[in-house]
Amino acid sequence: MSTPIEEFVNTLELESAARQKLAPDLYALVAGGDRRAFERITFRPRMMVSTRELDLSLDLFGQRHFAPILIGPIAQQQRFHPAGELATARGASAAKAGFIVTSRSSSPLDQVAPLTNAPLWLQLDATADPDRAKQALQLGVKAICLSAPYNWAAVDRLRKAIDAPILLKGIMTPEDAKSALQHGVNGIIVSSYREASPPMANSLDLLPAIAAEIGGKVPILIDGSFRRGSDILKALALGARAVLVARPVLWGLASYGDRGVQQAIEMLQTELARDMAMCGLPSLQQITPACIKVHRR
Amino acid sequence: MRHTTQDLTRRAAAKAFAAFVAASPLLRGQIDPQRGHDRVPKLDELISALDFEAVAHAKLPRQAYNYTAYGTDGEFTLRRNREAFDWVQLIPGAVSSPTPPQTGLELFKTQLSAPLLISPTAGHLMLHPGGESATHQGATAAANTPLLVSNNASQPIDQIAAAATGPLWFQLYPREDLNATREILDKAQASGCRAIVVTIDQQASEYERELHDRHLTPVSTRRAPARAPLAPSNPYRIRDRRLWYTWKYFDQIREMVKVPMLAKGILTAEDAKLCLEHGLDGVYVSNHGGRSIDYGPSTLEVLPEIADAVAGRVPVLFDSGIRRGSDILKALALGATAVCVGRVPRWGLAAYGPLGVQRVLEILQAELVQAMAATGRPTLASVNRSLVRTDFS
Repeated sequence: MSTPIEEFVNTLELESAARQKLAPDLYALVAGGDRRAFERITFRPRMMVSTRELDLSLDLFGQRHFAPILIGPIAQQQRFHPAGELATARGASAAKAGFIVTSRSSSPLDQVAPLTNAPLWLQLDATADPDRAKQALQLGVKAICLSAPYNWAAVDRLRKAIDAPILLKGIMTPEDAKSALQHGVNGIIVSSYREASPPMANSLDLLPAIAAEIGGKVPILIDGSFRRGSDILKALALGARAVLVARPVLWGLASYGDRGVQQAIEMLQTELARDMAMCGLPSLQQITPACIKVHRR
Repeated sequence: MRHTTQDLTRRAAAKAFAAFVAASPLLRGQIDPQRGHDRVPKLDELISALDFEAVAHAKLPRQAYNYTAYGTDGEFTLRRNREAFDWVQLIPGAVSSPTPPQTGLELFKTQLSAPLLISPTAGHLMLHPGGESATHQGATAAANTPLLVSNNASQPIDQIAAAATGPLWFQLYPREDLNATREILDKAQASGCRAIVVTIDQQASEYERELHDRHLTPVSTRRAPARAPLAPSNPYRIRDRRLWYTWKYFDQIREMVKVPMLAKGILTAEDAKLCLEHGLDGVYVSNHGGRSIDYGPSTLEVLPEIADAVAGRVPVLFDSGIRRGSDILKALALGATAVCVGRVPRWGLAAYGPLGVQRVLEILQAELVQAMAATGRPTLASVNRSLVRTDFS
């Protein structure tokens, strides 16, 4: 008998469930994470602030998000579960979480899009085909992501072709962030993820300098080993508007399909809500660098 | 081999049983004093407060032990509370004190023989049949150590008060219903509680060890840790009965409290100042023993900024992580007026009842005297920041 999903008390525990389901080569693709940056940050909890009207929602590109947590782009999800992106879309909808589907989805977008009532974005591959973007927008996709490595010519071509929000994923330096603004993008995703890469610098460590460069002109999203609600609150305090979560979602997908996707996201939403309540933060607007302390070790 | 009555003689059975006993680890445990987990050591064999945890662990059902041990979520703050004491080093003086160190002080008009109190913790009946009354007896025997009685005590406050003569304080969880608050406070003060500590943290904590333990048979005491069903119905599925807290509450209940009143759970200089603005008589630095927000700071690392903000205007109490006399001295050096211990007397109570509470407190008191003597500080008044080198990151 497999463990009832209610027994999992955090996303980290889902990893062991996924390990039992996945072949070693697939598990290796989604194993682990680098959480050292989170261990160097503590909160400065403020007391006696009512959070009875706790509100985690935010607006991104004119669309309401239930919480600042989206499912990050992962290609070919049938590798992890027979229903692949179809299950992820159902889970995202149940958890009211935004989902970034990729142009390398196991199922075509016209099958995936109807399955979620939550925000749906598309990550295009490096060719950044404008026609593909336009088709996606007609199917209800609200924003287009391009993932590093890309070239500025492709970004400019897409920018000219569509009015919809464009986000660049993979920004890790203030210089690239500045260039992104000059090329007219609507948001950036701080991320050190590169396919088949050795371990890179942690995105959270580089977020403050990038946030200073962006200066609030466009929303900053981030990914990189977010496993706890407290991780998310730390990134928001350092200047991110929302975070992308991928591995915990895949762990849930591999072991429990759409129900696992929902559970992974909901556990993070719940932990973030608890942490905001216990830091005296009734809504995302109150989150500032004064909520945390960054330590040397 | 399956024996029948015919082929098993008394002699063969006795021989087999003797061999079984001789091979048993239980017997070896009785013979070999190094295998302490197989027998309960005598009280005077225990050297430090930490030794009591192993005995308590051996004696308690798993939930009762875990209830005492756990912290929130991944227990980062629980661990950091202890690590922080390693980041503070005592600097010994060269001049010896002419007299043995004096640890006495006056706190809220009560003369204490040491700057040590018992933090409020719930449900002592799950630890020992004597419950909080036994804790009160042990605390009183340990040089009248004050006991802060929890709002979630497993015995009524008047029963606990009648069990011994040592000073009691009372800890309150805020009740939104002011009449309910008044009723609790009236009862506590009528029972002789000399101060009221209002816990303002732990608004929405969850404990993963407890979630894992929830299928075990409940501990059979009048007050096992009772938990609401999982997944409350609000949009974020969090416990929401403590989210209404505001500073105004202290103004509303001030006239109900005729004794000193403190806020417990302060972790920032800003909130320490708010305590003073709302007329509180003391600031209690605490992260609920690592049971409020995980990834909150250790209390020791925020103590200096809070002591600076308070600037001696009111007493500063401190808890979360104290296990040794040297820990007490470090906290005093960084600005605490007195410290509280929660888990330490719980281990003492679970392991040996009132005698265990008494003994474990006496160990801490004696260790504090030793640490003061070794650093050349004759009185608490001579303990200040020059006594320590801190390396908080």
